[in-house]
Amino acid sequence: MREEIVRIKGTKAGLQLLFAAGATYAAIEAEIREKLAAGSGFFCRGTVMHALAGSLPEAEMEKLRHLFHENGVIFSVTRAPFPLPEEPQGAPEPTAPAEAEAPAAPQPAEDAQQMVVVNRTLRGGQEVRTQSSVLVCGNVNPGAQIIAGGSIDIRGTCRGMVHAGAFGNQKAFVIADHLVPTQIRIADLIARAPDKAPADLEKPTRPERASIKDGQIVIEPIER
Amino acid sequence: MSEIIVITSGKGGVGKTTTTANLGMGLAMRGKKVVLVDTDTGLRNLDLLLGLENRIMYDLIDVTQGRVPYKKALVRHKKQENLFLLPTSQVKDKTAVNPEELVKLCDELRQEFDFILIDCPAGIEQGFKTAIAAADCAIVVTMPEISAVRDADKIIGELGRADKENIKLVVNRIRPQMVEKGDMLDMDDINDILSIECIGQVPDDEMVVTSTNRGEPCITMEKSQAGQAYRNIVGRILGEKIPFMTFPKEGFFSRLKRVFNL
Repeated sequence: MREEIVRIKGTKAGLQLLFAAGATYAAIEAEIREKLAAGSGFFCRGTVMHALAGSLPEAEMEKLRHLFHENGVIFSVTRAPFPLPEEPQGAPEPTAPAEAEAPAAPQPAEDAQQMVVVNRTLRGGQEVRTQSSVLVCGNVNPGAQIIAGGSIDIRGTCRGMVHAGAFGNQKAFVIADHLVPTQIRIADLIARAPDKAPADLEKPTRPERASIKDGQIVIEPIER
Repeated sequence: MSEIIVITSGKGGVGKTTTTANLGMGLAMRGKKVVLVDTDTGLRNLDLLLGLENRIMYDLIDVTQGRVPYKKALVRHKKQENLFLLPTSQVKDKTAVNPEELVKLCDELRQEFDFILIDCPAGIEQGFKTAIAAADCAIVVTMPEISAVRDADKIIGELGRADKENIKLVVNRIRPQMVEKGDMLDMDDINDILSIECIGQVPDDEMVVTSTNRGEPCITMEKSQAGQAYRNIVGRILGEKIPFMTFPKEGFFSRLKRVFNL
């Protein structure tokens, strides 16, 4: 068995990422991808992954952040050695829906990294509006709305109206266990459900992702 | 310990008042002391379903505005001595009573009754807000119909916003034959969307109409299917574990009868 380049250690504040000395970025990335694929059930959404600042160059850290974020893991670079004295940066904050827009943060890029977690079903007439990304642990029922500056992930059935990248982010996407919304909006594009769903196109049984490809909203099945 | 239950739905005509009358009667038949409070001011019906219209002397508004003590406004049911009705006014409107007044009244009623059932008006405006203010628990009535389910969803959200987390579902007017053919939403569809605990599935039953017109809740009728469903709900409210009714499949003869319109 070869020696592990990347080690993941559990701590009180979350998981800590440790790299073997002298490993190349490519090797690190490959191994992280492997670990993410192997432990897809382990890295549940909202897991916070810490890495020690300075263990990798800033640009590579940024790439890792993207990699983790795609998999729903919050990546946080911390300067202090563990355990952390204060709340880790970028941790999910539960917030009530229908709340006014999140307070303006200094950098919009920073906002997209943050996530609003809604730990219940959004029912008709309820609305979540935020600059950041949204994670819903529950369903989004018909008549409910989510308007997010970042991406939207729904751990449940999406039957409402979802708008990802509402402030122009074309790279935003929408993921749901069952994606059957009345409308999907991403950035300035709108797609709606067909008026008459074909009989064989029943409720999707697999998680799906809606994103913009070639100027159109496309929906494709994903693994998670 | 007494319990205040509000019966609500959002949409009109799904059977809130019928459910209130039947559950009230059922709980009283089980020996509980029950009062039914009608908050549908201006459109009161609960007295009709109980056949008590001509016995009303004072109403909810007289009580909340302090003209009479609540005991004077209560109407005892003709046959069921454990069942009381607190009727509302037919001439005033929903603004005549406010949430604080109803909470105060319910606190008084708590001293004397085991169950206080509040019949809520349709809609999500003032009348609804008043009706739910005092409730410990809510029963949301819906029908296997897309608009009723949508409104029930909204109501559940509104109840959540008012910090009422103990919410139960009653699905009324199910037509088993239509469900079987796939022409009507089935329980799975409804549970999927509303995802709250269901305590009742009441079939559509002609006896409900006749009993309503006669002023006797159908729960008293042994043979009524809806009556049986309501008796089951009463049992579940009292904490019994009762399986849901299964509806007999339409037999050959009844289908033949239906085809030939007999």
